[in-house]
Order: sequence, then C-alpha cells, then structure tokens
Amino acid sequence: MPAPVTSPEPAQAQAQSQTQVVPLQPLEYKSRSGLLDDACTADGRVKPEWEYVLGSLRDLGADVLQEREQKARRILRDDGATFNIYSGEGGPSSTWELDPVPYIIGSEDWARIEQGLLERSELFNLMLRDLYGPRTLVRHGLLPPEALFSHGGFLRACQGIQLPGEHELIMHAVDMVRRADGSMCVLSDRTQAPSGAGYVLENRTVMSRVFPSLYRDSHVHRIASFYQRLRLKLISLSPADEPPLIVLLTPGGHNETYFEHTYLASYLGFPLVQAGDLIVRNGFLWMKSMDGLKRVDVMLRRVDDTYCDPVELRSDSRLGVPGLLEVVRAGRVVVANPLGSGVLENPVLLKYLPQISKSLLGREPRLHSVKTYWCGDDEDLKFITANIRELIVKPAYRSTGITSVWGGDLSDTQITQLLATLHSKRYQYVAQVRLEKPHIPAFARGTLEPRPSLLRTFSVATDSSYKILPGGLTRIGVDTNSKVISMQSGCPSKDTWVTATEPERSSSVDSAPDSTRHSAETPLLSLPSRVVENLYWMGRYAERAEASLRLLRTVFVLLHGEEPITPTARKILLQTISDTTMTLPGFAAASKQVLADPDKELLRIIGDGSLAGSVKSTLNRMLSAADESKELLSTDTMRVINDLRDAMVALDLALASGLTSAPEEALDPLVTALTALSGLMHESMIRGIGWCFMELGKRIERALQIISTVRCLVTPVTDDVDQSTLLTALLVSMEVLITYRRRGRQRQGIELGLELVLLDNSNPRSLLFQLQQLQHHLAALPKAELKHGELAEEDRALLEAMTSLRLSRLPQLLDCDTPVREDMEQLLLRLESLLEEFNRIISDKHFDHRTDVQQQVTSFWSEQ
Amino acid sequence: MRFRIKHVTQYNYAARVTRCYNLANVIPRDTARQHCLSNRITLSPLPATTHKRSDYFGNKAFHFEIQKPHTELVITAVSEVQMSNKDHELNLDLGISYKEALEYLRTTNRPDVMEAREFVLSSPMIEPSDALTEYARPSFAGNRSLKSCVADLTSRIFKEFKYDPQFSTIATPLADVLLHKKGVCQDFAHLEVGCLRAMGIPAKYVSGYIETLPKPGQPKLVGADATHAWIAFFCPEEGWVEFDPTNDSLAGSQHIVTAFGRDYFDVTPLRGVIFGGGVSPALRVSVDVSRVVDA
Repeated sequence: MPAPVTSPEPAQAQAQSQTQVVPLQPLEYKSRSGLLDDACTADGRVKPEWEYVLGSLRDLGADVLQEREQKARRILRDDGATFNIYSGEGGPSSTWELDPVPYIIGSEDWARIEQGLLERSELFNLMLRDLYGPRTLVRHGLLPPEALFSHGGFLRACQGIQLPGEHELIMHAVDMVRRADGSMCVLSDRTQAPSGAGYVLENRTVMSRVFPSLYRDSHVHRIASFYQRLRLKLISLSPADEPPLIVLLTPGGHNETYFEHTYLASYLGFPLVQAGDLIVRNGFLWMKSMDGLKRVDVMLRRVDDTYCDPVELRSDSRLGVPGLLEVVRAGRVVVANPLGSGVLENPVLLKYLPQISKSLLGREPRLHSVKTYWCGDDEDLKFITANIRELIVKPAYRSTGITSVWGGDLSDTQITQLLATLHSKRYQYVAQVRLEKPHIPAFARGTLEPRPSLLRTFSVATDSSYKILPGGLTRIGVDTNSKVISMQSGCPSKDTWVTATEPERSSSVDSAPDSTRHSAETPLLSLPSRVVENLYWMGRYAERAEASLRLLRTVFVLLHGEEPITPTARKILLQTISDTTMTLPGFAAASKQVLADPDKELLRIIGDGSLAGSVKSTLNRMLSAADESKELLSTDTMRVINDLRDAMVALDLALASGLTSAPEEALDPLVTALTALSGLMHESMIRGIGWCFMELGKRIERALQIISTVRCLVTPVTDDVDQSTLLTALLVSMEVLITYRRRGRQRQGIELGLELVLLDNSNPRSLLFQLQQLQHHLAALPKAELKHGELAEEDRALLEAMTSLRLSRLPQLLDCDTPVREDMEQLLLRLESLLEEFNRIISDKHFDHRTDVQQQVTSFWSEQ
Repeated sequence: MRFRIKHVTQYNYAARVTRCYNLANVIPRDTARQHCLSNRITLSPLPATTHKRSDYFGNKAFHFEIQKPHTELVITAVSEVQMSNKDHELNLDLGISYKEALEYLRTTNRPDVMEAREFVLSSPMIEPSDALTEYARPSFAGNRSLKSCVADLTSRIFKEFKYDPQFSTIATPLADVLLHKKGVCQDFAHLEVGCLRAMGIPAKYVSGYIETLPKPGQPKLVGADATHAWIAFFCPEEGWVEFDPTNDSLAGSQHIVTAFGRDYFDVTPLRGVIFGGGVSPALRVSVDVSRVVDA
C-alpha cells in the first residue's frame, strides 16, 4: 500500500486536519454578538430548524465529526472532486472543500424562497425573450437603451434565435444571502452557463454517505429529480424525432470547474465534448467519434457564448465551433443556455427589475435584489460619487477581467482614479451596498464556529414552469470575519438541507417527478475521438513511466550493489537510461566526472518536470491524458490516479535532499501505483474501443522500450564480467531474472536472456508477445474496406516487424568480431522504425488532426 | 433609376483550404430610397450550404459553408436595385437645432429615439476620444440647425483630409487617421461617425456602392469601381439622413446602400473562418455599377 505522506490539499485545510491537540469541548454552537446569524435567533437561541442537526452533532462529538470530515475528504478525493486543477506545469490540483455541517433551511421557509425563485426565473426568461426579440423593454423606456446596448453580453448576432417550448432560459442560478428580517436578498444572477449544480450533487452524495442516519432522520428534500428534470428538458429541446444525441460542451481540463463537467456528463449520460470534437458540416453539427460523425441535437454548454463560434462571435476563440450559430439559427441544434443568455447577468437590470417586473408580470418581484446604483444614471452617479467608500463597485459586464472593489479598501488616490473611470465609462459600472452575510456554524479547529455564508440556488425550465433544486450550493468564508466569499479564494462549500421542521414527519414532497420519467433513452454513448486518443496516450505514458522507473531502479541497485562494477559497464548502464528515457544527450555526452558521480543527472531524469522524457514529465502527461478521458475511468481507477499524484509529491520530498541511501526505495510507491493502474485497466475496463486503444498505446510503448533497452545493453561487445552485469540489468529491468535462473539450470548466458526478452511468447514482457497483442487489438478496430485482399498499411508494418523478429537467429545476431553487434543493431533499428511507422498510421487514421484555422476578412476597398 | 451591380471577391490561397465558413454582406438592403429587385450570388467552388437572412440591423446577411478543398474562392454577387428617382432636396437651414436635438434625444420616450440611442455608444472600431470631440466641436453650435452642423462637419472632413489608399488598412486606428489627416472612404466614415457620437448625435456607418459615371460638367467621383462607405445620422422627427464625407455631399440616387451598422465591424463584406490556406492569401475585389434602362 502506498502510504500518502501528504495530500494535495490547500494549506488551510491541512492546518485544520492536523489539529493541534485541542481540549475537546462539547460541540456547542454559539452565535457571536454583533454578527448576523442564521442558525440562532437574535437572543442567541438555536432556531428550531437547526435544533435536530446541531443536537445530533453535539451527541457525535468533535472526535467523531473530525473522523467523518476526514472520510468525506477521502471520498471527494477518490471521486476526483477538484476546483481549479493544474495551475501550470503539473501543479497541484485543489481538492473540493466540503464543510461537514450542512446549511439548514426549514421547509416552510424554503417554500417561500422557492416561490420567489420560480417567479424570478420566469421573469428572467421573459426578459431574455424580449431582449433578443421585440425589445419592448427598451422601446418603451423601461430599460435605458444604454444599459442594454453597451453591455458586452448583448450579442447582436443572436437576435431572433428561439428555442422550442415555453422557455428560452433553461438554467438559472441565483446567489443570495439571508437578511436580518429572515428574507432572502439576491446578489446576482447567473444565466451564462451556471456552475455549481454538479458540486451540489457531489456534496449530497458525500454527506449522505458520511452521515447516513443524520441525513435519513432529517428528512432532507431530495435533489435527484432536479437533474432528471434537466435531462428531460434537454431531451425535449431536440429538433430530431429519433432519440437525440445530447452533448455537454466543456472548455477542457484546464477549466476550474472541469470536475463538475465530467461529473454531470457521466451522471446525465451525455458525452463530454470539447470544441475540437465537433464540426459543422452541411448545415448540421456533428460529433467526431471513432465510428464516424454523429449528428448532435442538443448541446448543454459550459463555454461562454461569446467563445462559441469564431465566425460570428469572438473571432479569436479556440473554444468554439466555426459555423455553430448558423446551425442554431436553422434550428438544427439547440444550445442551452441559448447563445446570448449572458446578457441577463448585467447587474444594471437589478436596478430596473421592479418596473420591468410590473410591466411583464404585473407585480414587483417577491424576491428582492440588492440595492444597485448605475453610473449611467445621473442621480445614481451623484450618489455613488458621494458615498463611494460605503459601496462595492462592479463592472456591468463580468468577462472584462475587472473585479469588484470595496470602496472602503481604497486609498484617496485610488478613489480619485476609480471615480474618474466611473465618470468616463459610466455605462460600464454599477455600485451596490454591501450586505452583511449571515453566519452559520462550520466545523473548524475541533469546534463549531460562525462563518459568513452565501447560497446559490438553481432553477431548470420544465415544460410549463421551472423546477427549483431544493437547497443549493452554500459557500462560507475562510474564517469568521472574512468579507469575500468566492471559490477562487478557496472558500469551503456546504451541502444545503431543506428539512421538515419535525424530523419524524415524513416528507412526501418531490417524489412525483421521478415517476413521470418516460422512456427517453439517449442512444448508446459513442466516444469522441479525442477521448480515445487520450486513452491511447495514457497507455503509452503509463508504460513509459513504468519502464523508466524499472530501469532506474535496476541501475541504482547495480551501482550501489555489493559487487563493484567496471567503469565501462557503469557508462553503458547510465547511457541506457538517457537513451531509453529520450533525455539525450544526458549521460551519452557526459564527462568522466559526471559518470563517476551521476546523481545530479539521475535526479534530473527522475524529478525535473521541465525535462521532456523525465519520469515526472511523463507522469504529468499521463495525468493530463487521464483527465481528458476521465469519464471513462472507474472510481477505483481515479483512486489509483490520486495515489500516483501522492506518490509524486512524496517523491519530490524524498528527492529534495538528493539521492540518499537506497534511492530505489523512493521509486517503489510509484512503480506500485503504476502496476495497480495497469492491473485495474486490465480487470475493470469495458473491452470497448477505448480499452483497445489504451492497450495499443501500452503495447507499442513497451515494445519500443524493450528494443531500446536491448539495443543499449546488448549490442556493445564487452568482456565477460561486464557482459554479465549488463545481462543482469536487462533481466532485472525486464522482470525475467527468476525465469532465467530457473531455466538456466540447463542453459546459461546472453542467448537465453535474449530469447526470454525478445522471442518467448509465454513471457508477457517479451517483444514477440507485444507484437502479437498489437495484431490482436488491431483486428478489433473499425476498418475501411480494402480491395483485392490487400493488407492495410498498419497490418503491413506490423507483419513485417513480426516476421523480421521471428526469422532472426539469435546465435547469428550475437556472434561477431566487431566492437558492436551489427546484425543485431540493424534488426533492432528496423523494428523500431516499423513500430514508429505503425504508430504514425494509427494516429493518422483514427485521431483528429486539426488543420490551422485562420480568419478571413476582406479589406474594404479595392486597390486600383 | 435602376442599377445593376456586380461585386466579385476573389481569394487565392498559398495552400489548400479544406473547408470554410463565411458570412458575406454583399446584398443591397431595402431602405426608404432604394429597393433591391433581384440578387444572385454564385460561388466557386460550390458551397455545401447557403442561407440568406435579415440580420440584427435589418441587413441581408449571406452565409455559406464550403466543404470542398480549394485554393481559390470566388464570390460573385449580382444585384439589381431600384432607386427613388428624385434626389433628396434638403434645406439644411430648416429643422431642429443642435441644442434642441440633444434635449429631444434625452427626454423623448419614443421607440425610434430609444433605438437610435444605440448609435451614440461606442462600437467595436469607434471609441470616443477627446481628439474627436475637439475636432467636431467647431461645426456644432447650439442654435444652428443640426443638419447644417453635420453638413459643415462633412465639408470640413472633405477639405481637410486627403484621400490616400496607400495610407490605411482595415485596422487603421481613428487616432492615426485624425493625426495624419489621410485615409479612404471607410476612414472618413468612421471619423465622421466618431465625431457625431462625440457630440451626442446617433450615427451609423453605411456601406454600399457609388455610381461613378461622371455627369456632364461634373468631376468624376472618387471611389470608382469599389465598395464605398458613408454615414447616416439621426435627425429627430425626420429620421436617418445620409452624408458622404468622401465626396462632400448628401447620399443621393447614386449611393446604393448595402448595409447599415455601428461601424465596419458590423457590415464587413466577407468574414469567416478557413481551415488551412497558408500565409497571406491574395485578395482581389472588383465592383461594377451600371445603369439599367427602366422598362
């Protein structure tokens, strides 16, 4: 078992988990005077809806809660739940933070909030329809023209696009806080591509596992039906008669919420695609899959609309599909949320919402929004100028890269600068009063302490109305007094429980929608070719890393072994490492001193992430490939991948002080994790096309590693002592020493060794075995028809490699009077080039290679 | 008066283009003074799909997708346009004053005014600047009629700027045009639009064609055999009035409109994404405007 020495969690979380021996008080929650509290009344008594949960937690005690928190953390980690992964070169991924105390909302209270949200989503839907349709709100003066027309989210190209059904706005998220009077107040709306609903599902899954009885007895409103509704709504949007193909479009693995994209895609059963997986052809949108193009009917997008089509929207976007907007206009694909929906995130709308609502719904909204002042309004600008230190200033358009500022934090000079900006770009800024965020209990430092909180709710359109997810995503500040709550700054999240006040009372709410699920099966998932390509590379890199590690381990043992080895053998061994890891020149060009003291270069080959071919760099590439194909990997596999990440961190620490005694020990956890990975792939992955490609990658890589290792160790002719050292290196790194010794009772020597490594098809690490496996997997791939029984190119390359190998005679290859075994060298070089050829053909045939994209713009006038 | 316009755009690429997606603005729209009788677009190579539609500004957008590998792309648009026979007779001294116009725009809650206010705002290629305000100000006096203010601005641009096709590219910033006092019709249109917006007057960029047959006794108009550009401004209670700063005139029966927009960005004759194509494709544009004898 690889023991995780450190876990890749933010420093703050570590500080919590490595609890200083705190004298354990009973787990009582006490509100602090002067702080708005949502769990306690003004006189400090726990509110009725919180009593049951807080009581149960008190009974559990801090020790148990601590243990449950650890358990939750482990589950999150095993599920690969991350926020902002890969900050730079293989940097740490940040585990999703979940506080073990749920945020409690009583069901009567929730019913009021839900009514307000239903109304708000309907209102925003009507606004969206109007803004891209008749624009009566502007024409009749309910919304100043400047508020709409100067907003970056208003996409003129999207004028007139309409979705089938009653609703344009499919997903709507609302950030809100509770005020002192108990009512909720909205801070902002998310309508672009709202994130968080996937994290809610993950939080709920973890909480219900970690607190099974507390969860059960609290009669928490279920959330699963929300996702069913989302799925049904997306299905109903399909323009096609047959079962629709629905895809989830992600910007890719570097997006901060990528985990959620993979999680939702697999939960909803939709392929997760990136722009490169899609193509517009003949007026339709298609997904490039291994078995050809598949027509896409509906797209749930997590890419901002302005990036979705470089032809008509942002021309510099690489995250979009050229021509998409035209397919959308023709109604041949439906995108949700519709392109252009980001216009509703404009905070200026909050200022005019009451009058807009009166006009569209006949009444002011029940759910209030935070008081918002717009610099574009003369009166407001005067007010803002006079009160800037008491206000939060926000850009009207979120994607401008400008963040909000709190006037109170600014110096006089900064205030002057800010005011100048507000006056010169009046339409682009709003100011809002800062609402006090209500405090709720969070588990930290062995006790329950108040933390400010923020709730994000989610609505999804249904046939006739909206369905609100009961609860939502609660986020809390990093400490009691934090002013800013944002995921970017590492704030923890909470599960949100809407509970019946009396735990005994059974809740029948919300079970209906599930039963109405009709037979709406999506077609069998076919994989985007990108995913398959990544599996192939995952196979290759995993194998490459493993081979490098085995070789390094072997060389370490020999260099530090009991029997001294000659400088010649030492040189060959070290050069073999540079050669097979492809980190040349390395030891091949090294001086005598470096060869005598190789630690520095060896450290580089192991741990230098910027050196292509180093173990670390290979593993990082393997992990990126794994991220891209995450949706095909089982939970167990994700767990092993996490172990690998841990082992990498541990290795860094172990190597920090240089190569100390028995450095091979430090590599063991990595080898073990890689072996476990390869075992899991073999035992628990469906034998589909994905598996096939992963195997192809693995076998090609292993074959190339064998060839390279044999070539380096065996082609030089050396004296008997060195020959024996090098043969041992070969046998140990190829894992056949024991077999060799057993069979060696009859025979001995290099010939037997080579036979085992190259030609023995009962050895799963022999070259012949790899080639046979390649032939086997190749046969399973989809193929174009060939005429006259001709062999396909890849078959041809493989067959030639196989035949050359089988026709070779070992005594002849070994026997020679030159310093290098020429025949063997020739054979191995030929095999290597055939395998490289094979690799090239497979990539060309099955993987997508994007040609250069460029913008076409005519100049305006003709030169005469 | 009836015109036949043939507008050919030809690209030659250094390398093969495997496919492309394009949006062309080459079909004359209908306006108060013109009606597009017919329009035919032919493409080489043949497109996989084409689609004509009316865009946000009411212009005729033409989309096409080509899936055939090619090294040459030719778009030929042939249109027949009926122009109203009478040239606009405009008495510049009549009508609302500049000061009244500003007040009207600010306070009048009418749909056409609300919509016009979009065109006071900055747009992708035209940002407000002090230099623009400074340049425009001498033409605007509170008591002067708005039309005569704009006519004066138009004349000043015509007189003070040199037509120089060598000087500018599509990316020439307005500041450079203003600094060097040089440019082509597109720059002058951008400049005048920028000036008008700086003075609070809604202004549109107009792309189109101009008939260049010299009338007896009149000089040949600049911009022959090319696409042309001019401006339109919103005159309260009258609507949009077009001026041509490149020719110091009102846009009349020889000015055939293709499209209105906030600036060139909205009405680019051809934009799109191509796959492949190599470096620096060669572009040739030819425009031919001829009179058709009324039946």
